[in-house]
Amino acid sequence: MKTCIACGMPMETAADYPQGNTEKDYCLYCAKLDGSMQSFEEKLEGLTNFIMKTQGLDQDAAWKTARKMMSTLPAWKGHF
Amino acid sequence: MGTQRQEQKNQTKRHLINVSIRVLAKNGLLRTKTSDIAKEGGVSHGTVFAHFPTREILLAEVIEEVGSRIASRLHELAVNGGSVREVLAAHLEGLLEYEAFYTRLVVENNLLPGRSQHTLIMIQSAISIHLNQAVEREVNLGTFRSFPTHLLFNTWIGLLHYYLVNADLFSPNESVLQRHGQTLINHFLSMASP
Ligand SMILES: [Zn+2]
Repeated sequence: MKTCIACGMPMETAADYPQGNTEKDYCLYCAKLDGSMQSFEEKLEGLTNFIMKTQGLDQDAAWKTARKMMSTLPAWKGHF
Repeated sequence: MGTQRQEQKNQTKRHLINVSIRVLAKNGLLRTKTSDIAKEGGVSHGTVFAHFPTREILLAEVIEEVGSRIASRLHELAVNGGSVREVLAAHLEGLLEYEAFYTRLVVENNLLPGRSQHTLIMIQSAISIHLNQAVEREVNLGTFRSFPTHLLFNTWIGLLHYYLVNADLFSPNESVLQRHGQTLINHFLSMASP
């Protein structure tokens, strides 16, 4: 089983992949509508919003967490 | 030969993670030394460092592993149309298996290195979103009231953590989740029922 290079989510079934394409190394939540991978800025904003929506964290605290989390993932190595 | 060595390496790492869960649960996350883990795991101190270059990395990876074991059951249920009750029960069941470790984690969280804290936040977000998937279905069916995602999750996790952190008061001699878990689920559901 692969894990998403951009967010770390385990990808268990084809439904976890963008457009069901299991050749990809990133999940459907890290893809744009056209199936390509989101940019660093898009993912950082998306993750920050995700943390705020799911747990109600302060925006700055959520942003810091999202950045820290992304720093451990292979897709964003060049950004840190 | 190369893959065999890799397999052996993975096995040692899994072994060290399982040993760590046990030792950290017993001695606390802040107090446990990597040398304690080496000793308990029957390996040299150098072997621990070969797999986890720093104590901070070891802590974060252990938290991540426990978190993903707990979240994977919820993920399965949430995507396959499980009810809110089933998702909450799966959450408790996952926590029950790691109750001592998880309780330590909650109690010591604010004092842990940054990476450990961020890891726990990501786990809780995953659990929140799975709970919300089940809730949204039931809201549409009219069997659950609608709440903002974060408040719903924080209400559940706040209740749970209060009992875990004060387990010595609520259930001094047995697992607090075993003793009170069902009551907490029933209460949470009754508050949210229309
Ligand atoms: Zn992803």
